[in-house]
Amino acid sequence: MQNTTHRVTIEKSKVKPSLFKRFGRQWDLQLMVLPPLLFIFVFSYIPMYGVLMAFQDYSLFEGFAGSPWVGFKHFEMFFGAPEFWTVIRNTVVISLLKLLIGFPAPIILALLLNEVRNRVFKKVVQTISYLPHFLSWVIVSGFVMSMLSTENGSVNMLLQNLNLIKEPINFLSLPEYFWTILVTTGVWKEIGFASIVYLAAIAGVDPHMHEAAAMDGAGKLRQIFSITLPAILPVIIVFLILAIGNLLSAGFEDILLLGSNPVLRDVGDVLDTYVYRTGIQNNRYSYATAAGLFKSLLGVLLLVGANYAARKSGNSLW
Amino acid sequence: MKNGKKVFGFGSALLALTLAMTGCTGGGGSSTVSGEAKGGEGSTAEAAGNAYVLGEQPLEFSFYGHYDWYTMPNWGEDKASEWIKANKKVNVVPISSGGNAKQKLSTMIVSGELPDVIWTERGADVESLRKAGALVPFDDYLDKYPNLKKWAGQETIDMLRSEDGKLYQFPNWYTTQPNGNAGYLVNKKIYNDLGAPSLETTDELYDYLVQVKAKYPDVVPLEVGQSAGGVDIMTSAFAENRPYQYSSLSMKAIPSGDALTSVFTDEVFRETLVYANRLYREKLISQDAFTQPLEQVEQKIITGKAAVYVASSPTEFGAIGNSILSEEDPEAGYIMVWPVHKEGLDKNKIFPGTYNQLGWNVSVITKSAKDPEAVFAFLDWLTGPEGQRISMWGPEGLYWDGVDEEEAPKFTDAFTSDTKGRDELMNSTVNLQWVGNTVYVDNSKMKFESTLPEDKKSWETKWQSEITWKTQYDTTEFVNLNPAGDTNEGIIEQSVGEIYEKAKAQAILNAGSEEEVLAILDQAEKDAQQVGYAQLLEYKTQKWKENLEKLGR
Repeated sequence: MQNTTHRVTIEKSKVKPSLFKRFGRQWDLQLMVLPPLLFIFVFSYIPMYGVLMAFQDYSLFEGFAGSPWVGFKHFEMFFGAPEFWTVIRNTVVISLLKLLIGFPAPIILALLLNEVRNRVFKKVVQTISYLPHFLSWVIVSGFVMSMLSTENGSVNMLLQNLNLIKEPINFLSLPEYFWTILVTTGVWKEIGFASIVYLAAIAGVDPHMHEAAAMDGAGKLRQIFSITLPAILPVIIVFLILAIGNLLSAGFEDILLLGSNPVLRDVGDVLDTYVYRTGIQNNRYSYATAAGLFKSLLGVLLLVGANYAARKSGNSLW
Repeated sequence: MKNGKKVFGFGSALLALTLAMTGCTGGGGSSTVSGEAKGGEGSTAEAAGNAYVLGEQPLEFSFYGHYDWYTMPNWGEDKASEWIKANKKVNVVPISSGGNAKQKLSTMIVSGELPDVIWTERGADVESLRKAGALVPFDDYLDKYPNLKKWAGQETIDMLRSEDGKLYQFPNWYTTQPNGNAGYLVNKKIYNDLGAPSLETTDELYDYLVQVKAKYPDVVPLEVGQSAGGVDIMTSAFAENRPYQYSSLSMKAIPSGDALTSVFTDEVFRETLVYANRLYREKLISQDAFTQPLEQVEQKIITGKAAVYVASSPTEFGAIGNSILSEEDPEAGYIMVWPVHKEGLDKNKIFPGTYNQLGWNVSVITKSAKDPEAVFAFLDWLTGPEGQRISMWGPEGLYWDGVDEEEAPKFTDAFTSDTKGRDELMNSTVNLQWVGNTVYVDNSKMKFESTLPEDKKSWETKWQSEITWKTQYDTTEFVNLNPAGDTNEGIIEQSVGEIYEKAKAQAILNAGSEEEVLAILDQAEKDAQQVGYAQLLEYKTQKWKENLEKLGR
């Protein structure tokens, strides 16, 4: 609040005080910003020299100083690897599926919850739906595997008892089911937690607007589309931009655990799992760094691109 | 607010950028490891004339087991190490891998803080440590301390030598006689219920599994274990003198004449997968073979929900299952059968298991050790008869008292009467068996078992002596064929390994007919050749020939 008053006074006087003076006036605020900035500097900027490894044949024993420089060798190997296109395709497809289904899902849940009038019911649903977020993937994948198991798996038992299938389906051994399982599990795990932000945004919408719309004869659906959604659009766009920036992070733990069956590698191998398997597990640190750097650069490009597109709507990050 | 967003957005972009790399950043420390030979030479020179006597001076060293699953028990908390600590003044400080061994070792290398002893697999990791000059050679100690030389033998020691001709690795469970448990476990109750049919050939096994499926719908007819490892074992049924190791993921090379050839074109491997695929399609093997966790396999075995179990060590769960099941019903339990073979082959030339003289893994002493000779002296004592007796069966007077003329312990009555206490003691030290002496331990055990009446004999030892030890194949000549991960061949090895894993799983799980199985393998061969399989096989052949030379075969 103090910040805005400052700004107002500045604009009124039309005289721009020196940087130092402005800083002095907000020293208390600046002090609060300092620790996070320091944190980012120490843990995000300083380790960045590690990308140099991508251009070396890095050896653990020699370190940076002793390892030979090899230019773009590891990038060439990565682009030329037989798995490259499969990995890229899987990464993009799984990400897009997660974005297409996983992104709107919490918004829909938030809208639905917002319409629930029974407070107790609403709280119970909210709590139950965000709990899975706190379970680790090891546990969740354990659930999923036992539910989908052919021997006494509950999904197969249900389908059999409903006479939909005769023989149990070995879900986790058939490539065609993998993406569905992955996306469904991801949505189930994160939908409740992600909806909290949207619920908060919806709570900030002025109730008078709803009342006025109701007076004009707008029904529930009309109100959602004409008032609630436009009102929370800025929040949605910010989250969408961030999601697009993360597009190449198709997932790691979930795929590693659910897709352990080698049969699924054609559909389940994404950039992160590939880097982990070929790079880290075989001590090919330079190769892993090169692939990681490639992914990060694309991620930055996507983020900038998404932001540029969003700027036209006036809701960009910067 | 606009500014805040900017910082946030920019920050998160950078965060994303760096997150991908933080896992790979080293401390940038240069070759501190090789430079840290702390006074090792001095003490060695001093002791050159007279050997280090264990127990005169207190000895303390740090020990790191390079495995995700390994947590060293605290030294001195069990009866064996308590005795060693009190009488030999040896204290071992554990360094834990924290469930992430690879990362732990990398961190220790980069920071130059290597443990005194590393317990790990033979091969690439040891070689890279040696090349960096981080390891202490044992050659000067070999003659001064008698046990390793005596029990492992010259051949094994020569096989363990590195490229520079020196010995850096102290073997664990090395042997000169066959050992191992691989084979076929059969559920006794089901077997007798079905009239105890002959289970000698693969066709008979198939018929039996069909009967099981018809009569016991809730039982897995053939359990093949985690990642369908049992299918690997079964390749041994389709040819004589053919250990499964040839077509396993770790070797992937079939000796043919004087060269190693592709696994995908190998008739035996192809025939096995056709057989396994048929069993899978007819629901005769565990349907989630490639996804089930080990605990699930264990549950099936100890509750008697599997009719046949084929694995590289089925006795482990079999022994537990046998005692649980037979307690409830004396007719229930497990037996083992002579390894299955394809019609027309000689059953005495079927080898489902393998052993090699070098044993399982090795301990290396790093230059961080203040007195490497003292550490070697301790390991040498531990692998000798006295060290083995105490670490296996506890201090003298408890389960054994005195030794015979061959230094085998004379077991007391408590050894058979107090089985619970004995097993507890043996389980408490199982993770302290770093330099196991197979020949000494097995012979001591067998000697004692042979004096026992039939009903007192341990289930495991019975089958080991009757079947499994007779059906293990010596594969010493095929050790250390694998290249280091960051070399050209290592990269090929990894690619071919992935092709192999995928093809095997597809052939078993998803192929609808024999033709499809073969088509998958043909495709795999093509893919493998494309990533340079031929070059890898050449490398392995070269290594194999070097081994043969060392072994004088």
